[in-house]
Amino acid sequence: MTVLPITIGVLVAGGVYLLCQPGLVRIVFGITLLSHGANLVLLASGVSAWRGEPLTGVGDPAEAGDPLPMAFVLTAIVITLAVTVFMLALARIGHDDDTRHVPDTGEDHHA
Amino acid sequence: MTGSLLPLLVVVPLLGAALGALVPGAVARALLVLAPVVTTAGGAALLVEHAQTPVLAHNVGGFVPGIAIPLVSDTFTAVMITVTGFTTTACIGFALVTGEARLRFFPTLVMMLSAGVNGALLTGDVFNLFVFIEVMLLPSYALIAMTGTWRRLGIGRLFVVVNLVTSTILLIGVGLVYGVAGSVNMAVLSGVDADDPRFQLAVGVVLLALAVKAGVVPLHGWLPRAYPATSATVMALFSALHTKVAIYAIFRIHQTVLDGATSWMVPLLVVFGVTMLVGAYGSLGERMVRRSLAWQMIAGVGYILIGLGVGTQLGLAAGLFYMVHHILVMGSLLLSSGAIERAYLTHQFLGLSGLMRREPLLAVVVALAMMSLVGFPPSSGFFGKVGIARAAADLEGAWIWLVLGVLVVASIGTLLSMTKLWGDVFWGPPLEESPSRGKGHTDLPPVDAETRMQKRSLAPAGALLLVSLAIFVVPGPLWELCLQAAEGLLDVTAYVEAVTAP
Repeated sequence: MTVLPITIGVLVAGGVYLLCQPGLVRIVFGITLLSHGANLVLLASGVSAWRGEPLTGVGDPAEAGDPLPMAFVLTAIVITLAVTVFMLALARIGHDDDTRHVPDTGEDHHA
Repeated sequence: MTGSLLPLLVVVPLLGAALGALVPGAVARALLVLAPVVTTAGGAALLVEHAQTPVLAHNVGGFVPGIAIPLVSDTFTAVMITVTGFTTTACIGFALVTGEARLRFFPTLVMMLSAGVNGALLTGDVFNLFVFIEVMLLPSYALIAMTGTWRRLGIGRLFVVVNLVTSTILLIGVGLVYGVAGSVNMAVLSGVDADDPRFQLAVGVVLLALAVKAGVVPLHGWLPRAYPATSATVMALFSALHTKVAIYAIFRIHQTVLDGATSWMVPLLVVFGVTMLVGAYGSLGERMVRRSLAWQMIAGVGYILIGLGVGTQLGLAAGLFYMVHHILVMGSLLLSSGAIERAYLTHQFLGLSGLMRREPLLAVVVALAMMSLVGFPPSSGFFGKVGIARAAADLEGAWIWLVLGVLVVASIGTLLSMTKLWGDVFWGPPLEESPSRGKGHTDLPPVDAETRMQKRSLAPAGALLLVSLAIFVVPGPLWELCLQAAEGLLDVTAYVEAVTAP
């Protein structure tokens, strides 16, 4: 079971990288990656940590995968989706994003 | 009263929110006033009930205990519901005066916020806590975007990003807790071996996320930037609800899930002490009334949580007492600032001066609230700080002097900050003769000699202050309630039994 932790690590690392970028759209993508990482953590806690696969004919039903973390993930996805839509709206409207104009630092950016 | 009535505290505001979006404005505003009044009444009824039965619990849907989502109320919950409900009522009163309540969807959003707060206070399940905190935050994002200055949209981004990242960390923490313990029900988690390092780490992630939401130093940076950009009404609402719900959850989880682990005492005392100092002195760098007050909110978080750091019954009770005092007084100060902004169109120090002679009533309200914040009598702040000092005296060795020293130094910082605010805003030449508002070299419009604020815009702040003064005159009943709540936090047997009983 090394695939899941590595995937979570990659998602979180990518998410944190994007969060540190200027511009709200990139931050929104970063948050999306981060929340996917969180969802996988939740799934991991219910499925691979101590249960078998939730498939018919594989293992004992009493040992099968836990539905509760899946419900958690579903709830989390809905919440993240709603906030993502709101943040994309914020990225579109309102006053200048800090990436829209190059700040005047006295340097020549076209040199 | 039985536990099965508990969901009503969430359902009534939520239904109000749904109705408020459909019905005409006047009806929606009536609902807006009704919802927090019902909440406050419900909280008061719970307080009366808890004199006999210490804990009420209800497993929603009647599922098996441990699997069902429990709503639990004990004295701590009831005190919080009553105080937050009352402060919300005052804030809504102010929103009606300023006309913000007439904004489309304002009633709906505030009722949704109220439902989320009640849910977060009542829930006995860590995942459900995350859900209710999100229910609380989603309308807040919209409230930030619809009220306040032009800065609000930029600041709204900061607020949303910080809170969403924090919520994601909270979610990861909940996942880890479930992975280690196999449950997210706090009563069940209470039985898990709290010395297991994996479990401590998992709960630690949850507490870390809550600490960001509470604004504990060094995770506070977003708060004094985000809050003041909204309107005074919304800031007063957020101040009474958001950070305080996070603090409530920290108290609850630390005591119930970690069994009040004392091994964390030293780092906790240090962090909370630094929070008090940074908050108290942070105001000195600000040039706007509500920005200055935002730092005092952070200081308040430190005072409340230092009670948790001490960890005795006295300590917890003193923390709770301080929380009640802080919610009331901060609400009063922020709504006073709102009244100033309404009449004089700014809360910058630069654009305000000589308000003491101009608005004597406002000056009295603000002066008393400031004294309460610093901890002078005659106000609730005096007993709040006495309680914390008394609890700190039970610590061992040098810790007594360290905590007491921080308490005194931080109070002096608050005194300095408030003196500066008072000097800049309330003293000085009359406003119409001041360089910034007289003939006008700034962007601010000049002020006539006759301009005064409406008396009714001061009423909500005055009402909150009166409660604070009443607590000074009769501190006994509230202190008894806080002691009772602290007892429930220290001995969680009744809590666990009520939740897990079939």
